[in-house]
Amino acid sequence: MLLESRDLTKAFGGLVAVNQLSMTVEKGTVLGIIGPNGSGKTTFFNLITGMIPSDSGKVIFNGEDITKLRPHRIARLGVGRTFQIPAPFSKMTVLENVMVSSFIHTSSMKIAKKKAWEVLEKVGLDEKADFQVLNVTLEDRKRLELAKALAIEPSLLLLDEVMSGLTPVEVKSAIHLIRQMHRQGLTIIIVEHVMDVILSLCDRVAVLDYGRKIAEGTPQQIVNHPEVIRAYLGERYRARS
Amino acid sequence: MKSLKNAQTPAHSSPSFLRWGLLGLVLLISLLLPWTLSPLWIRIATEVLMWAGLAQSWNIIGGYTGYLSFGHGAFFGVGAYITGITMLHLGLPFGLGLLISGMAAALMAVIIGYPTLRLRGAYFAIATWAFGEMIRQIATILEITGGAFGMQLPAYLNLPFFYYLFLLMTGLIYLTIYLLLERSPFGYKLLAIREHEEAAEMVGVDTVMIKIKAFGLSAFFPGVLGGIYAYWVTYIHPDSVLGAVITDFMVVMAFLGGIGSLWGPFLGAGVVQLVNRYLWLVWGEGTFYLIVIGAAICAVVLFIPSGIIGLLESQIFQPRTAWKEIRKKVKW
Amino acid sequence: MELFLQTLIDGLLIGGLIIVVGIGFSLCFGVMHIVDFAVGEWVMLGAFTGFLLVSYFGQDPMIYLPVLFIIFFVLGWAIYPLIYRAISGKRHNPVLMGLVFTFGLSILAKGGALSIWGYHIQSITTWLSGKSLALGPITIPALRFSGFLFGILITLLLMFFLYKTKLGITIRATAQDREMASLLGTDVRKVGALVYSLYAGVTGMSGILIGALFSIHAAMGVKYCTLAFFVVVLAGMGYIPGVIIAGLILGLLQSFVGVYVGGRYNLVALFMVMYGVLLITPKGILRRGI
Repeated sequence: MLLESRDLTKAFGGLVAVNQLSMTVEKGTVLGIIGPNGSGKTTFFNLITGMIPSDSGKVIFNGEDITKLRPHRIARLGVGRTFQIPAPFSKMTVLENVMVSSFIHTSSMKIAKKKAWEVLEKVGLDEKADFQVLNVTLEDRKRLELAKALAIEPSLLLLDEVMSGLTPVEVKSAIHLIRQMHRQGLTIIIVEHVMDVILSLCDRVAVLDYGRKIAEGTPQQIVNHPEVIRAYLGERYRARS
Repeated sequence: MKSLKNAQTPAHSSPSFLRWGLLGLVLLISLLLPWTLSPLWIRIATEVLMWAGLAQSWNIIGGYTGYLSFGHGAFFGVGAYITGITMLHLGLPFGLGLLISGMAAALMAVIIGYPTLRLRGAYFAIATWAFGEMIRQIATILEITGGAFGMQLPAYLNLPFFYYLFLLMTGLIYLTIYLLLERSPFGYKLLAIREHEEAAEMVGVDTVMIKIKAFGLSAFFPGVLGGIYAYWVTYIHPDSVLGAVITDFMVVMAFLGGIGSLWGPFLGAGVVQLVNRYLWLVWGEGTFYLIVIGAAICAVVLFIPSGIIGLLESQIFQPRTAWKEIRKKVKW
Repeated sequence: MELFLQTLIDGLLIGGLIIVVGIGFSLCFGVMHIVDFAVGEWVMLGAFTGFLLVSYFGQDPMIYLPVLFIIFFVLGWAIYPLIYRAISGKRHNPVLMGLVFTFGLSILAKGGALSIWGYHIQSITTWLSGKSLALGPITIPALRFSGFLFGILITLLLMFFLYKTKLGITIRATAQDREMASLLGTDVRKVGALVYSLYAGVTGMSGILIGALFSIHAAMGVKYCTLAFFVVVLAGMGYIPGVIIAGLILGLLQSFVGVYVGGRYNLVALFMVMYGVLLITPKGILRRGI
């Protein structure tokens, strides 16, 4: 077991964004998290990465309690994440953006540059390495998000809607990319709205609604789960599948 | 590919042969300057050098890191007073006094930064501002600083000596910034914090630690410069080395020149100090310069947020495109 | 004991006036997310405007309170577009730009005042000046007391506006979550303009009272800037009800330090307390700041 959350809870004012959420992720698997907007998916990521403090509950990563750790410490333990809205360092080049991640393991500019190049090649951004981030397309920004997360050489990767806003062709190549990373042994949690992505990539799927987990299982179990259809997928989806 | 030319310029473009040549020339001229100028102009040149160093120090935390220190003048004043105290009361040599001044200023910065650099930038701005005001009041209260009467240092009237000392120190500051901020992981991490602090944390940057270090560094240099200044002018009092106007000048110089850039603060210091001296020659002592500083800060924020350096970088050497590029940078 | 009680009363009375300066300032921060470094200069300009009005038209300064409110409301309304321009999301690092802009404004205002009026110290007298109420061994100066009453009145009016009117509730909602408010159809820019004008009006208006209580000079803004900063840090930035408690605490602190330690240690004491608050409970003593 690589990651486990126990009764994780977070409220903003009166709104309980994440409610007693317990989740486990086995090493080498891909977990998908789906749910309507505001169901607490991004908040869950923010809690795991330490970006916001939890009200109660625990997060265990690799057998270590990381609930109270500061974000950079969690990153150093090997948790990488992408932001739903790409969060690049605007006044830097693509390569420099990734180098900031590489500094987690080295303080040599040379090695950092080399490692950043390797990651850029992996995600297919090497041709745009010297571009200013302000001048690259949305798809490339999403790839850059991925590159930044990969460059810290994580053992767990949290992907927050990396597909949103992409064209079907771009989605296809992104799926290919994620599958490749998975084959290389990375454990991945994906938050996504595009069901095809979830179905084709995930070993297990969890469904959130109002901060609670209402179902968990294999993709096939989930698409036929009556409560999931009611809360999220809708009748239309069942008719289509 | 031609249209992408601009896009491909790296953020830290490496200095070409031309740039190094230019730099060497400037250095040579500045070394020879004291032999060619009248004392008044050596004085003005010395002031420009000092302000260039101060504005760049402010730029470390304000420009590169994106946290505004509105009490930065306090570090200059603390340096001035501590150098005075170590020389007068402890009988220490000037050089050692300078070192102690720098360290003391840096230590104070760390103490202020420790709680405030974890919070939003607004808290930091408020706390540093209040700190500056407090230090001025302390200087007027304490006996060892001479209170409101000020402090008389041993006189060493040697203008070229101070010119070269400021040249050395400011040169050191720019070299440090170049090596540490433009060419090392530390600088990249600072930029990352300024551009997107949360994203920086997510890739393992210890943001609080880095910010505290940056603030300490940006306070160390003004401490040393303050010490040199005190020995130069020989007489200091709370209004002369701790006045709010010192911070005001640092801010306007860095912003006018262009924050977060290596040469911006230098340009800003030159322009502002020359204008300041001109106003002084025309109108004499007065408070009119405050209006000019305030208006300049507001105007830069509203119309040229990237400063003079931003205008210069916009391909100014190609007349056909220069105007267009400048129009793009000047925001109406 | 008498001294203690007198100090206590004085502190509370001053606190009432400090609340007025703090409350608009805190609201302004809540909605716009920038600190207005010109807060003290609004007080200073209010005091001078009051002084000018009195010297041109005579009459008691108190009757100019509404006039000052209108003048500074309009002034705030006129300046806001510039501030909005500095903080609008289109440019890089809006918060930083906003802070520097108001910092520039404060230097401009201070420089202007110093150039026009120099370092002369002016004063305003009202029919209340010098009168006082005796409560046993304790005296309550009438002017301070009316300043306190004014503070309470303005605070109540503002609270009523913020909690009981539709517009006020919109403003509070915007202060709590700007993005959500704009998603729900609030014109955040208009709300900002209104809040800034309101804040400028109230702060400018309080200037004349402060001027009558203490003295008027071009460099007085610094002091009220410090007080406003202190109040919002103690109250929790943007948390309006906290301002009342923080204002009173600050009034007491000032008064007690002034009497028992020495007025010149005021800033030092203020900074120490502020530092302690930031170190221990950065969201204010009630832990409700943003």
